[in-house]
Amino acid sequence: MILVCGSLADPVTELVCARLQSCGYAYRFVELGRYPEDYQLGWCWRENRSEGWIAGPDWRLDLDEISGVYVRFLGPEDRPLLPGFDACDAAALRNEGDLALIALIETLACPVVNRMQGGVSNNSKPYQALMIGRTGLRVPPTLVTSDPMAVRAFHEKHGELIYKSASAVRSIVRRLGPDQLERLELLRNGPAHLQAFIPGHNIRVHTVGERIFATRIDSDAVDYRYAHLDGTTATLEPVTIQPAVEAACLRLADELGLLFAGIDLKQTPDGDYFCFEANPCPGFLYYERHTGQPISAALADLLRGSAARSRHEAAAAMS
Amino acid sequence: MMHLLLGHPDDPCCAGVFARLEARSLAVRVIAEPLAPPARLTWHLDAAGVTSSLYPDISDTEIAGILVRDIGLLDPQGWDPADHAYMQAESRAVILAWLASLACPVINRPDATQWYGAGAPIFAWRTLLHGSGLLLPELVVTSNPDAARAFRCRLARDGVAGAVYVPVTGAAGYLLGDDEAWERLAALQMRAPVCLTEPHGPVTLVCVVGDEVIWDGSLPPEAADLELALSRFAAAARLTFVEIALARVRGGIAVVLVEPKPRLEHFTENARDQILDAIVALLAPAVALVDSRVPA
Repeated sequence: MILVCGSLADPVTELVCARLQSCGYAYRFVELGRYPEDYQLGWCWRENRSEGWIAGPDWRLDLDEISGVYVRFLGPEDRPLLPGFDACDAAALRNEGDLALIALIETLACPVVNRMQGGVSNNSKPYQALMIGRTGLRVPPTLVTSDPMAVRAFHEKHGELIYKSASAVRSIVRRLGPDQLERLELLRNGPAHLQAFIPGHNIRVHTVGERIFATRIDSDAVDYRYAHLDGTTATLEPVTIQPAVEAACLRLADELGLLFAGIDLKQTPDGDYFCFEANPCPGFLYYERHTGQPISAALADLLRGSAARSRHEAAAAMS
Repeated sequence: MMHLLLGHPDDPCCAGVFARLEARSLAVRVIAEPLAPPARLTWHLDAAGVTSSLYPDISDTEIAGILVRDIGLLDPQGWDPADHAYMQAESRAVILAWLASLACPVINRPDATQWYGAGAPIFAWRTLLHGSGLLLPELVVTSNPDAARAFRCRLARDGVAGAVYVPVTGAAGYLLGDDEAWERLAALQMRAPVCLTEPHGPVTLVCVVGDEVIWDGSLPPEAADLELALSRFAAAARLTFVEIALARVRGGIAVVLVEPKPRLEHFTENARDQILDAIVALLAPAVALVDSRVPA
């Protein structure tokens, strides 16, 4: 049995459930918008082993029945208010509930998409860049600085630059233009994260266990996810990438502990590849809808325990 | 060469290490807020690797070693709350990358899991503890009042009165000693699962610093076996410096606390001295052989 934890208000989770349904793979669903109120769970650690269960309004699942877990947490803004509690107490209760669920999921030996540990490196993009570099993928020249002079020197050396958040706080990637160059003195308040602009095509690679789905994105926008804001468009199509790059992407996902990852690459006109980041909770719907790539079907196989990588993980976890 | 102690000057650990390094005529600086002026960070990553510099008067290659205790909190005064949260997240992200890329000894050199998982409940360590041969007290996480009551009965059968409620998000524990406390727990379980663990007796503190296992006070009879397991755990957790509390529970002697930011004030003076000497030996190995002990 597969366990899905998310919200049907989230189109990505909705797609996962729809795919499991169409594949005929049995699953139980924890609607996080109504968790923990409508659900119960229990697990114990006793004599150096764990056992437990989770139950919904009309079902109960022992932990050893679970073949795979897909979890996609909601942001605080997507959680309904708890009646009778102020915002602070409500947030504390939600946090307790979420951490208890995470603790339960972390006890499982089956494939989990994704375990918490896999996602934490994404909280620091420059830190993750160090890990990316170790897998053999190239990272664009990167500068994190609170020194205006350093930005000017970096700009002089690399020409066009982009900037984005260093943390996991979502930001739109922007080109560093004359307006920003005029305001560099504000960097004294805190460092900025800049990279050399890499020309070429964006490529999103989804690794699903040992499977790879690469999508090429043609867009004039610096951040194609927000092409509409720049009055431009993005067209997506499946693409085959070099085997060495595929292997490096799989190595990166493995190194980060991610069974499912969205890896952002760029292929230059010279055929070189650069890697920007690995997303531990990819919103793959956008890519699947535009290309027809069977990402959700591969994910369903992984969760069912029928993909090679999941068998490997389960065996490793049990050893 | 300069030693940096990231933390507050009043932190006994920072103060003790500072005094020892200074007594050895080594350059040392305590830094409460690493990114605050005069800091001017440049962290540059390219195909050749990382070059970085944080302070105008010390190149990063001149940093001999760093002790990481605390990186402070950006003063929220004058910030919009959302902007403050953003700046705090950015600062933490940047400092992690900076520490991770330094060539010098960093105690504890953080990885992302430790950096963002500070304050993790004891059960978060269970796999590593178990793998190292260390016992964890029995614990139950449940939203079901019947399961909580069953745990209470199981403990009572073994002669243990009550249980300890430990919020998953906090370090404090609350003894559930009477029926009223269990009723309040059941009410809480309507809102969120709770974590319960068995009560334990007096704790024995131990600190692992590098290869040294430093006991606070008298050693338990199992000390020799435990030392191997504790060292294995610290290595597996990639913690050069960790405080661990042990206590006797029904199944034997168990780990009841793992603290990756040890509090020196928890230890007696003799243990404090040993801990500080061991930290200094890691930060400044060449001169630590000279015995010039100074008080914490």
